Amino acid sequence: MSTATPPPLPRMDRMPALAMRGISKSFGKVQALTDIHLEVYPGEVVAIVGDNGAGKSTLVKILAGVHPADAGEIEFDGQPVQIPDPTASRSLGIATVFQDLALCDNLDVVANLFLGREIAAPALEEEEMERRAWELLRQLSARMPSVRVPIAALSGGQRQTVAIARSLIGDPRIVILDEPTAALGVAQTAEVLNLIERLRERGHGVVLISHNMADVQAVADRIVVLRLGRNNGDFLAPDVGYEDIIAAITGATEHARPMPDAPLPGPHPIRPTR
Amino acid sequence: MADRRRTPGSQTSLREANRGRIVDAVRKHGGLTQVELAGVTGLSPATVSNIVKELSESGVLSTSKSMRSGRRAQYVTLAHTAGLVCGIHFAQRHLRVALADASMTVVSEHEMPLARDHRSDNEIRRVGMLVADMLESVSADRDELLAVGIAISAPMDSASGMIARPGILRGWEGIAVRETAERTLRAPVAVDNSSNLSALAEHRLGALRGQGDAMFVEVSEGIGAGILVGGHPYRGASGSAGEFGHMVIIENGPICRCGNLGCLEAVAGGEAVVEGLKPHYPGLKIGDVIVRAMAGDDACIRAIADAGTHIGVAAANIASMFDPERIVIGGHLARAGEMLLGPIRQVVDRSLATRLAPPPEIVAGQLGPRAALVGAIGLATDRVSAFPAGMSGTVELRAALG
Repeated sequence: MSTATPPPLPRMDRMPALAMRGISKSFGKVQALTDIHLEVYPGEVVAIVGDNGAGKSTLVKILAGVHPADAGEIEFDGQPVQIPDPTASRSLGIATVFQDLALCDNLDVVANLFLGREIAAPALEEEEMERRAWELLRQLSARMPSVRVPIAALSGGQRQTVAIARSLIGDPRIVILDEPTAALGVAQTAEVLNLIERLRERGHGVVLISHNMADVQAVADRIVVLRLGRNNGDFLAPDVGYEDIIAAITGATEHARPMPDAPLPGPHPIRPTR
Repeated sequence: MADRRRTPGSQTSLREANRGRIVDAVRKHGGLTQVELAGVTGLSPATVSNIVKELSESGVLSTSKSMRSGRRAQYVTLAHTAGLVCGIHFAQRHLRVALADASMTVVSEHEMPLARDHRSDNEIRRVGMLVADMLESVSADRDELLAVGIAISAPMDSASGMIARPGILRGWEGIAVRETAERTLRAPVAVDNSSNLSALAEHRLGALRGQGDAMFVEVSEGIGAGILVGGHPYRGASGSAGEFGHMVIIENGPICRCGNLGCLEAVAGGEAVVEGLKPHYPGLKIGDVIVRAMAGDDACIRAIADAGTHIGVAAANIASMFDPERIVIGGHLARAGEMLLGPIRQVVDRSLATRLAPPPEIVAGQLGPRAALVGAIGLATDRVSAFPAGMSGTVELRAALG
């Protein structure tokens, strides 16, 4: 726990860093998301789980500014905001790590970390960038053999680490991880899960999308279930078991979330037959 | 660590420091190529090459041929001629795995968070893959793994080899841990309770060195203890002695996960502390409570101090009955240091104030959260010492044990 600068304390004010209310999105006739609610507090890991086609990735893409939402509002630190494009998302303080990582295989770790944000005054400050790269990687307790090897020479877990470290360069409030452990071995998965804990300790709000229930339950504070583009449950991780989550994902139980100030009567809860 | 490029002092001290740097880097990464070593340490490739050659001749490092980015490379690992042992710690929310050589030097280590109520079959399979990965990373063969020690954070029944009390590690109940793990890991396995093993580790390498009658108390999500009598672990008739956390300290108190009412663990365990803070701060973890307390948050300081007071009551009772020389406090919550230890000491001192002999010392563990893991490695090395192959490193350890 020897970090160069003490990390900011996770603040536990009851104001969510990010709140999405009544988000809907359709692609032509396909209604991808209907009336989605999501809140992320600082220093909290929120896992979004759901079946294929449940709308997890669409939700993330709305946050990342890839697609604008059709309806609904997004609040960032209590202020209503618009996210029309990825630049807006990033300048708000939302960092997204996509499944394919979007790293440049031929560039080394430092170049990837500072790609598009090089420290240059007026020539490139390679030493400074390398120093900062090490500092960041050390704060994440990352095991990296060298920051001057091309990405192509790194393992899957190390690449994931670089991608996550890169997202932290602008000191974002919210970090979104889309399937970070999907293509990784056991040791690398362990590394990434530890990394998520580090992010949480640093006070970032983390949105984690994963299919792996064991990973989700290991690190998440709150688990949000999407089913067919709707909210189907919002659980606190300590209070919920594996079976409850699977039941919510598959639709065996319906947890239609009451809206904060319900203007419409909510759908009837359908209880499992006994 | 702060400045990896500056090399002060004379030629010899410089060379000594560089050797240290290289061994440290290899230990941290498990294994590295020489080029990567040069990158991590900031030394020139020629220096790295010289030092690696020197250290592999003296038997500290070993090298093997490998490929990196399509080029030939020298892959450097710590030498493990006498074979390897593996230590594993399954806690409620945490998994730690380490490979060590016969002298208990850790060559590769991993940790990861676990789900609540994780399933034994899943986790054993995961550990099997992880151990295979780790063996590969230190370029060792499967048959170099001589023994495995497993620490389980639940009382173990010595006759059946299963968990002795339901409700504590729910995913592991009714599992013959040793047999199941042996099938997956294909090496002899020894299993013990994590607190017993922490006590063993602190006795060999930490705060209980040279202590005959002493106790290790682990305060994490739950509370457990390992008891040393005459320098040997005391296990009781059925093997589950030391269930410190399930002493009843409030009659008809809050319900414990073991099903009893008013257990110490249900009042002062890590989960109880977090639960008690829920009205103030929902969604905290034990680590957050400690960080906040250290930053001066009064509610968290108070919660930790209260836990300490309750643990102190139980410790005072134990101290009157069993009269240990020293009680070592370890586990996650012990990271709070004097915030937890102070109240414990206060209660114990007060209740033993009239005694002629001084009350037992209450000190923090030296091995931190890794104590149980180190104990598991110790258990595995003991297991190895029955084989002729791994005798070298363990003789003096056994002598030290008495």
